[in-house]
Amino acid sequence: MKIARFIAAFLFATSLLAQEVKVPDAEQFVGRPEGQPVSGAMLDQKTNETAGMLRCPVCQGMSVADSPSEMAVNMKHQVRELIARGYTQDQILRYFERSYGQFVLLKPKFQGVNTLVWILPILALIVGIIAIFSMMGKRAGGQPVDDAPPAEGAEGSDDPYLAEVRKLTGKQS
Amino acid sequence: MTASLGRSLILLSLLVSTTGTVLGYAAGWKRSTDGLRWARRFAFLFSFLMIGATLVMEYALITHDFSVSYVEHVGSRQVPLWVTMVSLWSSLEGSILFWGCILGVYIAAATWLTRNEHVEYMAYSIGTWLFSGAFFSYLIAAPASPFGTVANPPLDGPGPNPLLQNHVLMAVHPPFLYLGYVGMTIPFGFATAALMRGRLGQAFLRPLRASLLLPWVFLTIAIMLGGWWAYEVLGWGGYWAWDPVENASLLPWLTATAALHSALVMERRGSLKGWTVTLVQSSFLLTILGTFMTRSGVFNSVHSFTQSPIGPTILVFLALVLIGSVTLLALRIDSLESDSRFDGPVSREGVFLVNNLLFVLFTFTVLIGTVFPLVVEAVKGRQMSVGRPYFDSMVVPIGTALLFILGVGPALPWGAATREQAKRALLPPLIGAAIVAALGLAFGVRNPWTIVTLAFGGYAAQVTMKEMWLPVIQRIRRGDAVAGAIVDSQLRRGRRRFGSYLVHAGAVIVIVAIGVSSTMRTQQEVRLRRGESATVNGITLTFTGTEEKSEPHRTSTLAHFDISKNGKQITSLAPRMNSYQMMRDPIGTPDVYTTVKGDIYLSILNIEGDSVGVNVILTPMVGWIWWAVLLMGAGGIIALIPNRAARVIVPQTQESPIGANEVAAQ
Repeated sequence: MKIARFIAAFLFATSLLAQEVKVPDAEQFVGRPEGQPVSGAMLDQKTNETAGMLRCPVCQGMSVADSPSEMAVNMKHQVRELIARGYTQDQILRYFERSYGQFVLLKPKFQGVNTLVWILPILALIVGIIAIFSMMGKRAGGQPVDDAPPAEGAEGSDDPYLAEVRKLTGKQS
Repeated sequence: MTASLGRSLILLSLLVSTTGTVLGYAAGWKRSTDGLRWARRFAFLFSFLMIGATLVMEYALITHDFSVSYVEHVGSRQVPLWVTMVSLWSSLEGSILFWGCILGVYIAAATWLTRNEHVEYMAYSIGTWLFSGAFFSYLIAAPASPFGTVANPPLDGPGPNPLLQNHVLMAVHPPFLYLGYVGMTIPFGFATAALMRGRLGQAFLRPLRASLLLPWVFLTIAIMLGGWWAYEVLGWGGYWAWDPVENASLLPWLTATAALHSALVMERRGSLKGWTVTLVQSSFLLTILGTFMTRSGVFNSVHSFTQSPIGPTILVFLALVLIGSVTLLALRIDSLESDSRFDGPVSREGVFLVNNLLFVLFTFTVLIGTVFPLVVEAVKGRQMSVGRPYFDSMVVPIGTALLFILGVGPALPWGAATREQAKRALLPPLIGAAIVAALGLAFGVRNPWTIVTLAFGGYAAQVTMKEMWLPVIQRIRRGDAVAGAIVDSQLRRGRRRFGSYLVHAGAVIVIVAIGVSSTMRTQQEVRLRRGESATVNGITLTFTGTEEKSEPHRTSTLAHFDISKNGKQITSLAPRMNSYQMMRDPIGTPDVYTTVKGDIYLSILNIEGDSVGVNVILTPMVGWIWWAVLLMGAGGIIALIPNRAARVIVPQTQESPIGANEVAAQ
């Protein structure tokens, strides 16, 4: 009985060990490592960076870097292993996309419909800039109409209270 | 018995609010003062019924009346009293009731404060508020009813969501969020009334601005509390994940902030009225969208605990309000707008326009990033994600630009600035920029974005400080007593100005702290046996052992660590794992040691026998964010307090000294 338990524990432990370094078909999916093998503190930093670009498939919207779930932890180990072997971030992202689809990419790729999510804000910026310029242009054409409230002679100053202080202290700025 | 009392109160409030809506709009249309008087009475009655229903629910919770369906759902005799009391907003049905209660308080307060004023707009405003009230009464009455009767009440219930019990911040974050969200109803009502009237007079700006500023303060603090909660509980050492639900709270905040700034241009220059009203309408719409996002279960998120059938109902309301607002804006926006006049880009107005552009762009980007995956899934049937890397790359430039104009804007005068004026205003703060950037370099900052942020922050800090204390300095130079000048300028008559610059000062600190904390953090996972030590970035932690604690509603495992630096012990930390009866997986609670320089953050990954896996995260300046946001809130409150004294003493001669006016005012 005791021996059986020991064997079970041993098998479990080795399976854990095996799991940590198992990155199935990496070479077949994304080719040979394109970068240099990494180790030490740099490895930690790069692992966190790349894991932060991947969505944990079983969590509620957390990244692999942040999630405490078992699946995310495993994926993070895989990321670490791939980086240690010298795979680049781009390769690693492609590797996980092969397995889980575009769903795992937290930064949408610039292709297909996805381009909209990148382009629309830039279009909005352009429209906004044009709108502001057209408002500025109005002043040249239209008559200046002073419909501003008479704020105790505060024209040209930034608020009535400061204007009052300035008036009293005889300072013009 | 209690359940049916609650149900009747809600049905009555549905009746009262629908009648009040019709009455308010009719009175507005007919310009009837009698009608307005009755609309007011209905507004008060609605508030009374909503608050009453909420009190009934609280009573049921505290007395553990399990015959009420909501109490059966979230109540428990095992949990402490404070948990029982805050259970009101721990689950969907209760939180919608709580929403109704806050709406009631807001409507009553707004109706009371405007009782003698703004008669022209009030009937339409009350009608609009009660329309929103009717919608929420309907939600509480039908799809999200908390007052169901339980036929065979159990002796005890399961208790509220463990995440709520796990940290006290979860007890305060939702009320602040609701106070912010629901409060947007009041300016929405005012803006709608202005659109319906086709006019927005100068005097009506005051209630519009004040009613926008109060929920803005609550929302500001709520967003921070949410981030702080995430930081203290979720264990990954961050405070913002660009989660859809977090975005939902940010969106109306952004448009409301834009509106507060454009309202200032409106007040000073008479222009941008239509635009300001549009921003106010958007803020309200975004709160409803946020409620939909949080409560419908369409989003995967750590925060959306509840899956519920109210999604479609909220969507219908959202569509109704959207169509109504857009129609009104299309019909009436021209009648609001007076002839806009802008004196060129290098002026305060010019900067306000850029400010609005940036805030709207910010809103648009976050909105696109949040709803885009939903749209793609609906249209193309495939799942995709838009997450932190996207938002970081899009929003960081916008935030940096906002920090830049936060510095430039207040330095420039209203109206076109001459070259000489512009130089005199814009050059000196470069000193502040240089000092802060140099400080950053000295502390080891190397990331170019962070250096830029620090420089902009230093620039903005110098401008803000100068503008904040300018009136005081001028009065002291003139020979006023120092204490008198400070009190009068900053807390009495110049209160609004001082408050605004306090908000700016807080915002500068927040943006700089976000920049520094996100780029300068160190994170390492270590595994230690009892008695072993590890050193991360000069900080040594020693694992001294675990401890089990048992409370009625949970059991906890604590891991004790001694933290030392250069061989001297500075503190000890005990991150823990809490297990609740209801939850399969334990919830980790990290432990944090905060100093002015930064935080030491320990979070347990797992405990296996004698060894513990722990995530060590060192983040500089992160604690500054919470306190600087509170400073922003305080600034908002100071700017909000109505300045009655200043209004009384408008007629005055130039010669009269300020001191004399004060006496006259009292």
